[in-house]
Amino acid sequence: MARPATQIKRNFRCTNWFCGVLIVAIFGNLTHMSLDDLLPFLSSRDGALELFNLKRLPQVTLYFRKGQLHCVHLGNKPIDALQARSVIGELISARKGSFEFIPGAMAKSCPDVLDWPVDRILISITTTFDEYAQVADRLPHADTLFKLTHITVPDDTRLSDFWKRAHIYLQEGVSAQQLANKLGMPVDHTRFYLLKLQQLGAVAAGRAHKTQRQERRAGVAARLLGSLKKRFFGEGGAWSH
Amino acid sequence: MEPLKIVVTGPVGAGKSTLIRTLSETEVVDTDASASEVIGKPTTTVAMDYGTLYLGDQLLYLFGTPGQDRFDFMWEVLSEGALGLLLLIRGDRPEDFGLARRLLDYITSRQPVPYVLGVTRQDQPPVWGPEEVAPFFGVPAERVVGLNAKDPRSAVGPLVRLLELMIAEGQIA
Repeated sequence: MARPATQIKRNFRCTNWFCGVLIVAIFGNLTHMSLDDLLPFLSSRDGALELFNLKRLPQVTLYFRKGQLHCVHLGNKPIDALQARSVIGELISARKGSFEFIPGAMAKSCPDVLDWPVDRILISITTTFDEYAQVADRLPHADTLFKLTHITVPDDTRLSDFWKRAHIYLQEGVSAQQLANKLGMPVDHTRFYLLKLQQLGAVAAGRAHKTQRQERRAGVAARLLGSLKKRFFGEGGAWSH
Repeated sequence: MEPLKIVVTGPVGAGKSTLIRTLSETEVVDTDASASEVIGKPTTTVAMDYGTLYLGDQLLYLFGTPGQDRFDFMWEVLSEGALGLLLLIRGDRPEDFGLARRLLDYITSRQPVPYVLGVTRQDQPPVWGPEEVAPFFGVPAERVVGLNAKDPRSAVGPLVRLLELMIAEGQIA
């Protein structure tokens, strides 16, 4: 059921007289109509699609203009391309939540203009999340620390958006969990991007620095090695493989 | 003299329990239980394996960690303060390499523990050899050793390599 017009938080400006005032004609629930059903339908319209009562996200507003996704707001604040990919990925898989389309509504504020062709969004983001599902059991642990191995921006735009935001932190070493907090995106998504960058050789797990205690153990190792070889290979025995 | 700890870890069925039984000079304390899911063998380690090895007057504890992902909290607890880490992978199960890499990266990025990878089942070809495994894990070739976990002279190989690398690193330092 559509919300009464008085309950709609006005975070947009209008380009026509009926914008957000009269009956909202396009509304529904993601249980019955998913975002991938909705997007093609909205690609020829200008206006705002508001999604609310979502399980894992605050209110999301997608602004469409001239067949393109112009801007995305999360909780009434504009978000960048990287966050927008994550949010749309979440929305595509969301099966709980309501939506309403406000014809003619435009974003009041949009510092990061996306202008993504609507017909390509689905292919690009759905492909990413299908791939994510395939590697879910191989994603790095959320607390593994990663570091840059070389500074080359990946060609794939899905990765380059992440790279641009994350590479400063990766120079020092950072985990998926820390990145998720810094970039404002789900930790499973940062784990996925880090795996892809690791496969490209752009990042690697940082090895923890040796402590003085470990350094001292070289002497212990020398003592143990002699005993170990003697035990398993006899006097003068040598291990070779 | 303070006992030292070697941690043996890896995915389910990599040969951790077998290796500890092969190397330990005391009866291995294990916590095997019937597997509650299909993992390719009837029992699996649910807490840890524990064996001992005396080298001269130095006591070594051999701890084997459970391979299932849900026990990941134990990987770090057991690795803290360890003399070294042996990560075992089955050479004939490349489908487990991703999980093993995840495990290695997690532990070694958080704990400054020397490590060696052991590729088991080298006696049962076709298997991946150590030289093929090293690039996948992004580790130097000298950190990967092939072995047969049932043969004592082969099973001890990763431990020998671990000590050799520790000595070499100590000399460099």
